[in-house]
Amino acid sequence: MKIVLGLLLMAGVALLIRSTALSVLAARGVILDVLGFVVLVWSLRYGETWGSTFGFVLGLGADLDAAHWLGRHALALALIGYGVGRLSRAVVRENAVTQLVLLFAATVIHQLWALAFEFGVLHGWPLLLQRVAVSALVTAPFGVLLLALMRHGGGQPLFGLAADEPGSKR
Amino acid sequence: MGGFLPPAERRSGALLGLFAALSLLLLLTGERIPLGALRAAGAWVFAPFDRLVLVADRMSAAWRENQQLHERITRLELENARLREAGIENQRLRDSLGLPAYRGMSLRPVEVLALSGEPMPSSATLGAGARQGVRSGDAVVTSDGLVGRIGEVYAGLSRVTLLTDPDAAVTCEIESTGVQGVLRYVPSPFPRLLLTSVPLSDTVRAGQRLLTSGLSMRYPRGIPVGRVTRTGRDPGGLTQEIEVEPAARLARLRHAFVGPGPALPLPAGRGGGR
Repeated sequence: MKIVLGLLLMAGVALLIRSTALSVLAARGVILDVLGFVVLVWSLRYGETWGSTFGFVLGLGADLDAAHWLGRHALALALIGYGVGRLSRAVVRENAVTQLVLLFAATVIHQLWALAFEFGVLHGWPLLLQRVAVSALVTAPFGVLLLALMRHGGGQPLFGLAADEPGSKR
Repeated sequence: MGGFLPPAERRSGALLGLFAALSLLLLLTGERIPLGALRAAGAWVFAPFDRLVLVADRMSAAWRENQQLHERITRLELENARLREAGIENQRLRDSLGLPAYRGMSLRPVEVLALSGEPMPSSATLGAGARQGVRSGDAVVTSDGLVGRIGEVYAGLSRVTLLTDPDAAVTCEIESTGVQGVLRYVPSPFPRLLLTSVPLSDTVRAGQRLLTSGLSMRYPRGIPVGRVTRTGRDPGGLTQEIEVEPAARLARLRHAFVGPGPALPLPAGRGGGR
């Protein structure tokens, strides 16, 4: 129950930030991919089952908020949640470089898929690639910095010890 | 293959399959599902938090805007006096020519709670709805110009279809020449507003102002829409391709005004129409 409430709360906060503070940045061409970031964090913390569930729920919320293409964020984020969740068992989750690479990849996949609907792949690919690159280059370092600050502030690892399975109780 | 995997992994794989199938189904059929009620619930849940998040932003902007508005009020009062005289003269001339008088537009101020859509916002949530007299199809403007029109109305909230929605289209005219065209948002190859359906024989120049047209069935005439930034030839070669910069800052909306729309029945929940 606690995890479901946490999931809904985190999804709500992410959608709120996206539609208020980050919408101005997005309109200027800098999409800080808060959806990809929170799915990555959730999947690293709780594994692939909760990762894909969170991705789907969050994506569905984002799709409902947008006017068109219901299901596009849900599909991409569910796949990212699953993929990162699976990888979380094999990687050192607290490692900043690991987080940077995963967040970069997650942002590229999510933005490439989501923006392809907006710009079109055939005619809009130069702008599509530019926006995706900017988004990944901004989101990845910013996300890793945020995680480092959270870890520093909390005084303990965010994702548990390397020996712990994602989502397991310690 | 599935039999070799541990049960937990099989379960998560099946779950992912279900999510993927549902997402694809929604992608294929989502446009046909009526989502007004669901969006209304979402807007209702998020509205208090939107207001909370926006408080700091509004506070910092209010001080700056207050100074600007004082200056602007003074300037507009002077201009208003001049226009009043011109209006009386205009009315006299219209009467003598037998032309109908312009309709005034009563505006209701509303707060913009959230913007939706990336990279350009395509819709916005307003803090006023049916209870405040907002109706589907009403025009939404700022002091700078046209923003869009009300697409969905809930009890205490409403949703605006902005000019940057791919389904939105506005019949416009060039202020100085009266050249008519249809303004559309084109996301590819890069997001921009284009004035379409303008014959090559019509002269349009960069810098000219664009207003809503008297031919528009959705908007009152004469609302500023934008300014021509570039002119060219449509890839088809039959009409012009005219890029327009919107008059209203669509990505930075804080407050707007809702004016009465047409008395025509509108298709429920859709943003299209001219």
